[in-house]
Amino acid sequence: MMKRILLLLFTISQFSNVAQTTISGKVIDSKNRPVAGASIYLDGTYDGSSSNDNGEYEFTTEEEGLQTLVISFISYETFIKTANVASFKNSTIKLRDDVNTLDAVVINAGTFEAGDNAKVTALKPLDVVTTASAMGDFVGALQTLPGTSTVAEDGRLFVRGGEADETQIFVDGIRVFTPFTPTPNNVPTRGRYSPFLFKGITFSTGGYSAEYGQALSSILLLNTIDEPDQEKTELSFLTVGLGVGNTQKWGRNSLSINTSYINLAPYLEITPSRNEWIKPYQSMSGETVYRHQFKDDSFLKLYGAYSYTELDVVQEDINFDDGVLFGLQNRNLYFNTSYKTKFGNRWKIATGASFTNDNTNIKLANNKIDSNDNSAHFKVKLHKRFSSRFRLSMGSEYFVTHFKERFSPINNTKFNYGFNNNIFASFVETDLFFSKNLATKIGIRAEKTGLLNEFTLSPRAAISYKSGKNAQFSFAYGKFFQNPRAEYLKFHEDFSSENTSHFIANYQSVKQNQIFRIEGYYKAYNNLVKFDTQVPNFTSNFNNNGSGFAKGIDIFWRQNQKIKNTDYWVSYSYLETERDYRNFPVAATPNFAPRHNFSFVAKHWVASWKSQLGLSYAFASGRNFKNPNKPGFLNDKTKTFNSLSLNCAYLIDQQKILFFAVNNVLGTKNIFGYNYRNTPNGNGFFDRQARTPDADRFFVIGFFWTISSDKKSNQLNNL
Amino acid sequence: MKKVFFIIAIFVATGLSAQTKYQKGMQKAFGLWKKGQLTEASQLFERISKAEPENWLPAYYTAQVEILSGFGIKDESKLNAKLQKAQEFLDIATSNSENNPEIIITQALLNLVYIAFDGQKYGMTLSGKNNQLYAKAIALAPNNPRVILGKAEWEMGFAQFFGKSTKPYCSQIKKAIELGKKEKIEQEFYPKFQVKRAEEVLQKCQG
Repeated sequence: MMKRILLLLFTISQFSNVAQTTISGKVIDSKNRPVAGASIYLDGTYDGSSSNDNGEYEFTTEEEGLQTLVISFISYETFIKTANVASFKNSTIKLRDDVNTLDAVVINAGTFEAGDNAKVTALKPLDVVTTASAMGDFVGALQTLPGTSTVAEDGRLFVRGGEADETQIFVDGIRVFTPFTPTPNNVPTRGRYSPFLFKGITFSTGGYSAEYGQALSSILLLNTIDEPDQEKTELSFLTVGLGVGNTQKWGRNSLSINTSYINLAPYLEITPSRNEWIKPYQSMSGETVYRHQFKDDSFLKLYGAYSYTELDVVQEDINFDDGVLFGLQNRNLYFNTSYKTKFGNRWKIATGASFTNDNTNIKLANNKIDSNDNSAHFKVKLHKRFSSRFRLSMGSEYFVTHFKERFSPINNTKFNYGFNNNIFASFVETDLFFSKNLATKIGIRAEKTGLLNEFTLSPRAAISYKSGKNAQFSFAYGKFFQNPRAEYLKFHEDFSSENTSHFIANYQSVKQNQIFRIEGYYKAYNNLVKFDTQVPNFTSNFNNNGSGFAKGIDIFWRQNQKIKNTDYWVSYSYLETERDYRNFPVAATPNFAPRHNFSFVAKHWVASWKSQLGLSYAFASGRNFKNPNKPGFLNDKTKTFNSLSLNCAYLIDQQKILFFAVNNVLGTKNIFGYNYRNTPNGNGFFDRQARTPDADRFFVIGFFWTISSDKKSNQLNNL
Repeated sequence: MKKVFFIIAIFVATGLSAQTKYQKGMQKAFGLWKKGQLTEASQLFERISKAEPENWLPAYYTAQVEILSGFGIKDESKLNAKLQKAQEFLDIATSNSENNPEIIITQALLNLVYIAFDGQKYGMTLSGKNNQLYAKAIALAPNNPRVILGKAEWEMGFAQFFGKSTKPYCSQIKKAIELGKKEKIEQEFYPKFQVKRAEEVLQKCQG
């Protein structure tokens, strides 16, 4: 009995020793070259090996029957095969390139990305606050990129011959309806939102995805951070105001609150201004973000912002000896919520909604204009990853706008007018990777506009080919529709959408710490709104017969650390554009489109001073204006625009920063255009007045202090 | 008959010798690591981690090998691939052992590789995160020598950058060395305190 059992046991153990299978083979890549260092193993076991320099591997296993062989290596797709273990012998396995690695092709015609996740970073998150001319405004930093025109008195983004309102801004994929604070003439505006809320910025100067519509020229996508890095209180003291922020984290939640108060009165006391400020610019704003991260990596974000702005100023005007009074009160409420989750087999869903209430009271001379805009956006987007090489996204969105305005002329009856509009849009888009070097994105967008009772279809396509280790070519085409602006819709509704077609060719070469890109484009404008009065009003005759074009070349070069501790970039844009729109009698180059734009930004870190010094220089060729003393339309040019800005950030310690910035340090007298007297003088000559900035120079001194909870605990521990 | 059962029991015990297989595997991986065969070491840790899906240690070491070999890499796509893999395994380790100070400080180390690679791109977002991670780790394990050393080193880096004295951190490092020498490791293959490295850091602090 005992003997038998022992014998049985020995045979079993013998048997299992004998059943050793050798697994061997060779790993090659798509070009049949051996892959060294790949990991080859049987899933769920300890048995495995690495491939040698010839791509060959060999190991033994005691496993039997059906097993899963896995071959994985960084930057290749993982190979998985389930079969009888005996069949894994002398097989040659070809690994497919992983198309999602950093060195794979990127579809990028028209687009600049900033942020940690971007494959190619044109701007870094810190650039927004360390670019000398930007003055802490995220839009200011983007104005140093090619494709934008220098229109210094406006502050918004004028892209490739387009007007500022042809650029739309989105936060977490949801539209922002009133992203800029209102200002009087010739005083540049700023973005309403704090740059530190965003972890990624994508700026597209054309040819963008079918996901985005109602923008003729450009989109700016801002993604908010998912999780703040730490609990902290931030204080800022500036020559023009104060700010307080606080971030709290608990469990899977976080809450950030920022408030700021800006008052230009003290600043205007000590610096000269061309305007007479009765009530200097004053604004109060607050924003709050609540974020919740669910267990399954789903995210909920609620964002709310409120701001109040007021000012009263008398601006010189050649037609009025006492100047013109401009008074403004603006209340703005913005609410944005977004939710993202995954479900099923590699599906993702992102939904969101935004709501804006913007209320503006303007006093112009003795007339009053009160407007109230309620707008909302609802969106749902689905994304399915069929494989790493084929992805599909689709979605629908709905925009609602209720706009009301009342014009109260002095000693006259009031006028009430406005419009209600809704737009329903759907899009579908696919990303296809043919290989690591060739990829395409094709999409289509359909829109139905309630007010115009119009249905439009916009095809979009982009293709990129990586021609070498560092170089790639991209092409993009798209058709873009946008409803006529509120300025027209409030007086007239029988319109079609304005539209553009973009054709873009791009070459990019990226090396470590170095980017070069050159992009050529052609843009055709159609169905632009025309009218036959000085400004649009009830008596204007409107039509959609306008058209135009823009073509040009944009060049960007950035290099970091080639010169020690120095980072710099250079942008140049060449722009040729003409349009026949608004009340233009003939096609002409508009005032906002200088032909040459150049900017240079440099930053140098001086370790011994713990300071970052920054410099930025902007140049633009002369801008067109109408000179009534000469025949023709938009027949004269201003002198060129030059502005040199400097800044310095001194790190007192890890938590305290002293900041100094001055715009146009040389005090160059820049001229944006001219206003002419309505009637000629005695000699039959029209006198003129230059449109100039409120002040030639502008400076800010600030002190930023971050107090974080863990820092406090550190200091206690160290005592 | 008793004998038979005894023999069977031995067979059963050795037959179910997952423990020894694990030990053998881990020892082999550490051996490869010591010899500088990083790819092989990381891949073996990875296989062990896949075969022992509930044990945090092999995943932790897979990440550790990738992170430590990430310092000094100049090619961003390579570095990114490496650190993404490390992150994946740190996440596996975390899911098996939540609020583990060893994993938390390794996450901070991973962030440090990114910061060292490009301070401008990653410094702003990740250095705050690291402050938070070290604060969390020290709250969980105030007497863990690796946590104390890691935190002191991180803060020393900042102090050096801002031209401040690094002296205040010497006492922390000394404390870590003391605790490290006394530390008794209860779990097999639990991270060990590297006294030699700590003494090097201490010299830097005093110098």
